[in-house]
Amino acid sequence: MQIYKTSIIYIILVGLIFLGGCSSTATVQIDADFPTVLAKPKVVSAAIIFDEDFVNYVGTPNEKTSVSIGKSQVKLLKNAFSGLFTTTQFTSSMDNVNADAEIFITPSVQQIQVSTPSENYLNVFEVWIKYNLKIETADGLLDTNWFMPAYGKTPDVFMSSKEKAIEEATIIALRDAGAKLLLDFYRIPALNQWITEQQQRAES
Amino acid sequence: MRAYKLLSQWLCLVPLLIGCAATTTIDEFRPTDQLIFIDASEKIVVLGRRDSGHYETDREFINCVTNKISSANITVVPEQTFIDAIYPWFEPRTAPKALPRLKRLMQDPTVREKVDGLSIRYLVWLDGSTQTLSQGGSMSCAIGPGGGGCFGFAQWDKLSTYEATVWDLKDLIEKGRLRVDSEGTSYLIGAVAPIPLLTPVKSDACASLGNQLKTFFAVK
Repeated sequence: MQIYKTSIIYIILVGLIFLGGCSSTATVQIDADFPTVLAKPKVVSAAIIFDEDFVNYVGTPNEKTSVSIGKSQVKLLKNAFSGLFTTTQFTSSMDNVNADAEIFITPSVQQIQVSTPSENYLNVFEVWIKYNLKIETADGLLDTNWFMPAYGKTPDVFMSSKEKAIEEATIIALRDAGAKLLLDFYRIPALNQWITEQQQRAES
Repeated sequence: MRAYKLLSQWLCLVPLLIGCAATTTIDEFRPTDQLIFIDASEKIVVLGRRDSGHYETDREFINCVTNKISSANITVVPEQTFIDAIYPWFEPRTAPKALPRLKRLMQDPTVREKVDGLSIRYLVWLDGSTQTLSQGGSMSCAIGPGGGGCFGFAQWDKLSTYEATVWDLKDLIEKGRLRVDSEGTSYLIGAVAPIPLLTPVKSDACASLGNQLKTFFAVK
């Protein structure tokens, strides 16, 4: 009788473990390192403002998924902005900005979206992150916003947990954000015009 | 009598095992029939295309081709090492898709310096995937107090299609192009225990492509 009871308890425990594995909630903490960028920075002094919301950002693309990307996105953008400007200062608020900074950039996350194989009918997990960069200059001539979408997907979902797959897709999306920033930042029309005017002023 | 029975059972399996062979076709294009000479100090990098929406060239296949090329005493730089070293220029969104874009990229002194520093002479792009074309049959498994087993028959067709393009990073020209198509059917027979008879479509494609690529190069 005792053996029968013990067996039933084991069966229930094994069943609970299986059911736990089927749970569709996912809490993902991203803690990735990113490679040093290969870029020639322009002679500009910039201050990057990472406010508290950005540093501790946790995205909730849906009620069952949360993705904590705050620390990783700060690491990524510190790396990327160092490839754009010769002098870069990272601070938590505008009050701490050095007087020699010519340009102030405040990044923020507008939205994060996750798509699973059951939603996209593909054998991949996808992640979209939409950033906004608020760009201002010390001379007051430039005050603009630049929306920067980033995308990442897993190669496939074979033998991969939901958390692991979302983590992988998010890291690829973050790398994509860095690449997009480095390649397109100086193509922002208003910024490009401001840089050109600065150069003309310096030459004359 | 027993040996005859065993032999006849094995003979029944032969047609099935023959059916598990993959059919592989290789198409090759090279501007000249001359070998591509590579210095002992020069290296190759094999990269997978990842810009398509519905598939991406899997790392397992890239590693397999890399190992085949390495076996010819050619130094191959690992894919991720190269992508990280040259970040952000070979990310899925930013990697050059054609030679004109590569030429523009290599005009950037920082990029040229990095590629030269890594001693990479040739870049091999791999693009393709393995797909299941059709599947049929059914298999059911059951377990009870007296034991369990699987009964039935299932089969599926797989097709591996991959293309390799060799770029010369010094002269900035295309040195050759290879395409491999490998197709085969796999079976699963449920006779109490499930017996898989798998056709190694992807590894056949890798072996054919890797061995053919090896013949492109000659170490000086």
